[in-house]
Amino acid sequence: MNPLDHIPEEIRLTAARCRHYAMCKIDYLDTGLCPPAKKTPYVGYFPQGRMDLCDALAKGLIPVTEAAVDIISSCTLCGSCDRQCHFVTGMRPMPVMQALKAFLSDFQKKGKKVAVIAEDKPLKTLKGIVGEKWATNDPAHLIAYANDPFPLAERQMPGYVVLPGNADELVEIVRYADRSHIPIVARGNGGSVFGFVFTRGIVIDVNRMKKIQLDPDNWSAVIEPGVTSFELQKAVTQQGYRVNTAEPAATVCANIVCTGLFSTWANAYGVGADHIVDMTFVDRHGTVFRINDKNAPNVFGFEQAVLPSPGICTEARVRMHPVTDDEEGILVPFTSLADALFFARDISRRRIGLAVGILGGHYLSTFISPTESLAEKTRDIFSGILEMTHVVSVIGDKYARNSIKQMVPCVIESNTLKMLMLGLPRLAGSGWTDIVTGLESDRPAYEAVFSEEMLPLLEQVLAPSPETLAAAVDEELRKFYTKLYSRPHMTDMVWLAMFRIVSARMSRHKHMFAFLIYVPLDRVDVIHDLIASFADIAETHTIDHDLGFITPIDFGKRGILEYDYYIDHTDSRESEKIQQAMKDIEPMIDKLSAATKGVKFLKYIFSQGCARKENFLYT
Amino acid sequence: MNGGHIRATIGDISGKRQSKSTRILLTGATGFLGIHLAQLFIKKGYTLFILARPMDECSPEERVYKLLDWLDPDWNQSRVHIVSGDLNCSDIGLCPADYHQLASSVDEIIHCASDTSFSERKRPQIEKANVENLHHLLDFAANSRCCFFHFISTAYVAGKRRGSCPEALVETQTFFNVYEETKYRAEKTAAKRCREEGMRLNIYRPSIVYGNSCTGKTLRFNAMYYPVKMLVFLKNLYHKNTEEQTSDGAEKMGISFAPDGTAHMPIRIEAAASRGINVIPVDFFTAAFFAIMESAIDGDVFHITNDKITPVSEIINYTQRYFHIKGIQAVRPEDFPSESRNSLEILFGRYTQIYRPYMKDERIFDNGKATAILKATGISCPVFDYRIFSTCMQYAEAANWGNPA
Repeated sequence: MNPLDHIPEEIRLTAARCRHYAMCKIDYLDTGLCPPAKKTPYVGYFPQGRMDLCDALAKGLIPVTEAAVDIISSCTLCGSCDRQCHFVTGMRPMPVMQALKAFLSDFQKKGKKVAVIAEDKPLKTLKGIVGEKWATNDPAHLIAYANDPFPLAERQMPGYVVLPGNADELVEIVRYADRSHIPIVARGNGGSVFGFVFTRGIVIDVNRMKKIQLDPDNWSAVIEPGVTSFELQKAVTQQGYRVNTAEPAATVCANIVCTGLFSTWANAYGVGADHIVDMTFVDRHGTVFRINDKNAPNVFGFEQAVLPSPGICTEARVRMHPVTDDEEGILVPFTSLADALFFARDISRRRIGLAVGILGGHYLSTFISPTESLAEKTRDIFSGILEMTHVVSVIGDKYARNSIKQMVPCVIESNTLKMLMLGLPRLAGSGWTDIVTGLESDRPAYEAVFSEEMLPLLEQVLAPSPETLAAAVDEELRKFYTKLYSRPHMTDMVWLAMFRIVSARMSRHKHMFAFLIYVPLDRVDVIHDLIASFADIAETHTIDHDLGFITPIDFGKRGILEYDYYIDHTDSRESEKIQQAMKDIEPMIDKLSAATKGVKFLKYIFSQGCARKENFLYT
Repeated sequence: MNGGHIRATIGDISGKRQSKSTRILLTGATGFLGIHLAQLFIKKGYTLFILARPMDECSPEERVYKLLDWLDPDWNQSRVHIVSGDLNCSDIGLCPADYHQLASSVDEIIHCASDTSFSERKRPQIEKANVENLHHLLDFAANSRCCFFHFISTAYVAGKRRGSCPEALVETQTFFNVYEETKYRAEKTAAKRCREEGMRLNIYRPSIVYGNSCTGKTLRFNAMYYPVKMLVFLKNLYHKNTEEQTSDGAEKMGISFAPDGTAHMPIRIEAAASRGINVIPVDFFTAAFFAIMESAIDGDVFHITNDKITPVSEIINYTQRYFHIKGIQAVRPEDFPSESRNSLEILFGRYTQIYRPYMKDERIFDNGKATAILKATGISCPVFDYRIFSTCMQYAEAANWGNPA
């Protein structure tokens, strides 16, 4: 490798585009984790941290320190990051890793001096609590906790990062910080995207606290705060259970506390307090309490205000749910949102299906496409040619699926979806779309295309196979994708809905800025107006935008709606746009919320995620 | 058919036309028939105002010029005026000044704009385009100097009639699709309004129009082309997959390939034994339109149709011969019970469902009035034989059935 006396700008730009989704911190593709990070789980050792380090060194924000040397030297150039990152973002971090090595090589060759960061008293105290290895003030580590793609937050370098190994150490850190008046924030998996986890003081990274203990007799799992959704789901699935989890890289405890944890499974498993049996917190003064204690602070209530969290969760007992062996996914296509809404609400109130979500064209095409360009083509075909503007995705047992088939004229069953996924690169080819375009039926084109007797033709057109799918990616990744998609779970709707590994693809195009609002599901007019307002504001500020998803909650009485704005977080002009748009959005939602029962902006639920859903859905 | 105060005498109209001083407003020039008429009138030296709207970031000029270039690279721009407007608007998309200026410039109007979709689901859009927008244009005509309104309709306004369909405005109740129905309603609307306003009205009713009989040139590959395209698509798809051995799909469908590549595709197609499809080439349509327009100055209804209908079995034979396919046959509906259909037949039937009424058509279009004029001018409709079929298919293949590669 040729030494580099500086990091090239195109490499820096690649590094700066890291979305901080932390998918490189979970082994979601069975590629194995970045080897050094597995041993020492500071964010800095993960590809995400290495990207931040590259950006910071290129900009001269930090010197080459001992930790920087160690982080860069420890990279084995194994290529796992390339495969993991490409799967969700389409990005290839390997050139960044190679450039870092070349940069360090030049630095060392020229005999330049490595900066040594002196230890101060707080660091010594923190090391005394957690051990020498697990506290640092080295900027090469701190930089990985200093910013995220949230466009409205400034970079803020913490003073220290500390990784407690257990609840006692965590409590001791909080008490020390309180005594010393040093601000603290807790960081889950480092997958921050909302700008809430920055401090000049101490960042407590809980990534070493990953214990999971199942308690099948009580249908619950006891977890430490560093356990991610992916890890918990994997652990409970192996024993034949399911938990409701959110984004796979997000830590479960933080997700519950922050948002009340919602997903399409919220239709069956609820939100907020529905997920938990008990939780233990340490408050900002170091007092430990269990929420089930009668004298504990009341975390189940809700107040329409932006409030701090009850503290740092040190342990949670979350609910596990039963699974039947006949569960499968089914997609129900629609030509309009209104029809999709009616259907989703209808099956929710009839208690049909477990996970239910209305997906817009962008969501579905992005989820199933291995590349951004294919996602765009797929979206155009789904909505423009197949007339499938929205789908309702349902996971259900055979009774649920049979009911659904009696309710609608057309469904896309799991085998058909599998066929679509594995044959997607050929969807636009072969002149087939032209044939479908000429289908002047009185029914939507998707009904003809996905009807049972037409499926043999679709199979011929798509020639579905892992090899066909892999043809859509860069040549050097095809072998990997072929192997990956040879695994049945990669095209299994139930597995994908439970582990949600494709949801991060939503940010492949640009960083996604998600707005979440609880809505009254029977008020189609309100939902339409809300969506139209989001669209209008986005258009006014020339921001890319689309409906994300809507999931029914509580027998279809309420729903949660996600509307997404997309921005290039590395472009300051885009940040300015979103800043201006926020000035229109917040009053719009506040006004709607004040006038309409059931409309609640997630902004106010943030940090009140343990609240009973009844306290914010029906007040 | 005209009543009331006729705006112009036959002599006025003839005189103007002979001196080529008639100024014509044409709508629908970005469509298949419209652009051919535009080309013809340009060639004949008429002053033409073409009303068109911008679309997909293309200006009206770009849209029309591109099509005229496609038809004839040497066309003469000197007497063509592109007017950016929109029939969806009650003022046809013009500001008052432009509206007034155009109204004072126009002697005759040829209304070719139409939505040719058949789908019931698209009813609002089709009604808007074919009926409501016609009102907008007729309002404009009423406010203008227009003395002659030429309306391009369809022979299929006859609806679900069997047997003879007169070359006149007749009452019909039922239709095979919303296109037929809206064109029928549009005829009634045009007739009433033209009568009230003293404008002469010619209604031209072509049957199914295909490409140029000499060159095969066409813009769209729907109607007669679609079922053929579907068969060719199926043949190519299964042939490719068989060659690549990616699946046993062909075998499951009963499709096999001879060593010379000839496909055996067991498909029965429902068709009336005694009747067939009435198709005319676009070059005949334009020539017939012009001749009728020149001759029929009093205003009337004309069928521009083919005296010789083409049996479905003949088109099947042409298709099999040209594309090296065997096994396709036309059968009577009574010999084709749905429970006897194989997978390929179900598949083909589903995709060509919308054209089924036209494959077993029992309508016979009287065309005595049109024929009298055409005979006098030496114009006749060519029989749709294998030579013309192969010319059309050669063009379709070269144009990749309308899809840029």
